[in-house]
Amino acid sequence: MPSEYDVIVIGAGTGGYVAAIRAAQLGLKVAVVEKQKALGGTCLLWGCIPTKALLEHAHAFKVIQNAKEWGVSLLSPSGSAAAATIDMTQVHARKDRIVTGLTKGVEFLFKKNKIDWIKGTARLTGGGGVDVFEGEKQTLHAGKEIIVATGSAPRSVPGIEIDRRRIITSDEAIHLREVPKSIAILGSGAVGVEFASIFRRFGSSVTIIELLSHLVPVEDEAVSTELEKSFRKQGITSLTGAKLTRARAGADGIDADAQLSDGTSQSIQAEYLLVATGRGPVTAGLNAEGVGLELQKGYIKVDAQYRTTVPGISAIGDVITLGPPGHPQLAHVSSAEGIIAAERIAGMETRDLNYDHVPGCTYCDPEIGSVGLTEREAQERGYDVRVGLFPFGVLGRAKMSGETEGFVKIVAEKKYDELLGVHMIGPRSTELVAEATIALQRESTVEDLIRTIHAHPTMAEAVGEAAHAAHGAAIHL
Amino acid sequence: MPLTAPRFTYEGFMPTDVVMPQMGESIAEGTIVRWIKKVGDSVERDEPLFEISTDKVDAEIPSPVAGVIAEIRAAEGETVPVNSVVAVIGPAAAQAAAASPVASPPPPKPQADGAATTKAPEPPPVPVQPSAAAPLASSAPPLPAKSGGDEGMERSSPLVRRIAKEHNIDISRIRGTGIGGRVTKDDILAFIGGSTSQATADRGAPSPSAAPAPPRPPQPSAGRPVPGTSAQMSPMRKKIAEHMVLSRRTSAHVHSVFEVNFSRVAQIRETKKAEYERAGAKLTYLSFILKAAVDALRSVPVVNASVDGDSIIYHKDINVGIAVALDWGLIVPVIKNADSRSLLDLSRTVADLANRARSKQLKPDEVSGGTFTITNPGVFGALFGMPIINQPQAAILGIGNVEKRAIVVDDAIAIRPMAYLSIGYDHRIIDGAVADEFMSHIKRSLENWDAGQA
Repeated sequence: MPSEYDVIVIGAGTGGYVAAIRAAQLGLKVAVVEKQKALGGTCLLWGCIPTKALLEHAHAFKVIQNAKEWGVSLLSPSGSAAAATIDMTQVHARKDRIVTGLTKGVEFLFKKNKIDWIKGTARLTGGGGVDVFEGEKQTLHAGKEIIVATGSAPRSVPGIEIDRRRIITSDEAIHLREVPKSIAILGSGAVGVEFASIFRRFGSSVTIIELLSHLVPVEDEAVSTELEKSFRKQGITSLTGAKLTRARAGADGIDADAQLSDGTSQSIQAEYLLVATGRGPVTAGLNAEGVGLELQKGYIKVDAQYRTTVPGISAIGDVITLGPPGHPQLAHVSSAEGIIAAERIAGMETRDLNYDHVPGCTYCDPEIGSVGLTEREAQERGYDVRVGLFPFGVLGRAKMSGETEGFVKIVAEKKYDELLGVHMIGPRSTELVAEATIALQRESTVEDLIRTIHAHPTMAEAVGEAAHAAHGAAIHL
Repeated sequence: MPLTAPRFTYEGFMPTDVVMPQMGESIAEGTIVRWIKKVGDSVERDEPLFEISTDKVDAEIPSPVAGVIAEIRAAEGETVPVNSVVAVIGPAAAQAAAASPVASPPPPKPQADGAATTKAPEPPPVPVQPSAAAPLASSAPPLPAKSGGDEGMERSSPLVRRIAKEHNIDISRIRGTGIGGRVTKDDILAFIGGSTSQATADRGAPSPSAAPAPPRPPQPSAGRPVPGTSAQMSPMRKKIAEHMVLSRRTSAHVHSVFEVNFSRVAQIRETKKAEYERAGAKLTYLSFILKAAVDALRSVPVVNASVDGDSIIYHKDINVGIAVALDWGLIVPVIKNADSRSLLDLSRTVADLANRARSKQLKPDEVSGGTFTITNPGVFGALFGMPIINQPQAAILGIGNVEKRAIVVDDAIAIRPMAYLSIGYDHRIIDGAVADEFMSHIKRSLENWDAGQA
């Protein structure tokens, strides 16, 4: 006899575990199938949490490196001046403590909501059935719905073979026990530029190879340009418009060739090559096609309410596609989708997500926070665009913290004064983007941002000032 | 809602008569278009009680006191003299008794007979800000004038309100699919996109957590007439019909059309638009045309005149009416002393009057006293119109659609923003040459706009 549930969630990442909790809150009997030893998925185990922990270490190191500026003296026990050094064993210990604390937190939430964690690999068998393999086979049955939330995994590009020793992915990079002398990073999305910031701060020589003409190509071009400028100052080499034509792993490092934007060829030697070219869907062992799920380039096709082509099976998170132009692979998007799917299954009426209002945060140094349309996207959609830009450096709060790089840029349209996008790079941008997100969600005009009082002295003043700038002139510029 | 202290000590104990308000000096009677409240309903002071239609304006009348509707004496569609009692409001304490089946409301009746509104069913109005449009001849204290439309009271977003303003849409007519029934950008764009039949896909339905919309009285929507049926004209419709036929009978209508190059105006508008926006005004082509017309009226006084028997009255003031299309008809609010106003002031006033026309918040004296009228068929795409004079005026200016056209400039074909302006004038007092002089004046002003004016 199969174990009977209302909802079976496959995958306990931020999409799956949130969907499970929401479904349980709404009175449904829920099981979650997860093959890893801990709950939390990519976000908690290899992604958001551990990488941002390392970035906080990098930031602390940066402050200490500038101790003199802050009037702080570093003395050795003998009383002589000491240089700041980083102890990677302690860094990883602290990071692991954070990760463990959070995964235990999810376990606690499962218990609290009476959600069963079924350990093992799930296989869809049709008609609401799920087989779970770990040791012996368990048979589960979902009376209402199965939610597939199997997520994604790093993936390479053709011609570059990942050996996980010298040619590595973010999964290995997060566990590197030493600071590499040199590292080449292929791809300058969030993963690429975050590791670039971490390793550069820890002392590595860093080279980024990006195929497109700018770093962080999904961001507004002004943001990309600002990051390139800052990286240059920090001594990170960015090869944009460059194609890695060959990469070979040796015993102590890698040897690679890149074709540069001007057509010339450059050879690259480094201890590691981090391949950060994106993530692909995880459906291995799921029997997705066997039960009739439609796949597009490996992703599970869903509608705006996350129903797959098979009744009784939904899918959310990194593993899905809603069709072009592509689906953002972000923890908070997966969670939002999980909540919608759970509520729909529980019989609540739900609204479709607006994917134009998804905030994106990149924790490189300087940080990037953005939401909504970039200037170019707004133009491509035919809006009569106007922009406003305000540099953080002017603000008192920025000067105090010694973080004066970057700006807030507002993209709006003229006819109705509609706020279309807010893009920022600089201190606290990943927090400041929350204001912009709610402004977009509430369909604000630029004037609403102008009329919103921004406390002084804060970095948030830059948001209000950028709004002023979009209407003609900032006050403090 | 802030509590208002009773103005009279007996308020709350004694029944209060509600009378048909005097909406203007010359107005003797008014028609009850719709009762917003029914017998047995409780009402707050200043909460809209009923809608009236008079010769001059349509307005929502707020309740003079808080209490419970004890009696309704004038039925919907009935026309009653000013100051006659149309309802009685009892003390709130008597609510239980008044709401008992004994005092049950009259059975709902089809409202096509005499209902002036042609609006789609709308939710019962939320308590709106006190309306200056309805000075009551009762104990209600003078109410503060309100500055803008009341769209803010609907659940919507800043962007939706901006779009609504631009398109002159009453947000209460749109079904909101957002959180808590909020009208979203998609809702209003779908509405504008030609559909009163909004998408009712399940995904758009409000979630059950949202309060269900209160039941709405069945109201045939005259906005969508049913073929094969007949319907009574609304008081406003009747008024328009009489007025137009009277005008055709009275004046010797002649029309003349001028073509105007808007390059200069477009250029100035572009450079000044942001500045005007910051000043809270919208710089439209209409603003410029209005200003140019006012200047022309000053230099050709016979266009700003009326016929009275055998005499011609040359008006001292230049009061320009702007025809505003409503879903339920047409109204012409008047900009008083238009010649003493700046372009900025004119822009603001036009927007304000148009908004208040649509939200039925015009005061009676804001729709009277016009000496000249501008109508804008261009907004609906017309090349030009042949408008009928608004009696007792002598002329009316029609604005066609401003659009880019190929024209000949210095023996070369050029693309310029062009529009046809038409004038309908009364040949009894205005001859062709004079009318054309007037129009040439406007054309000259617009084509050679002095940037210092904006």
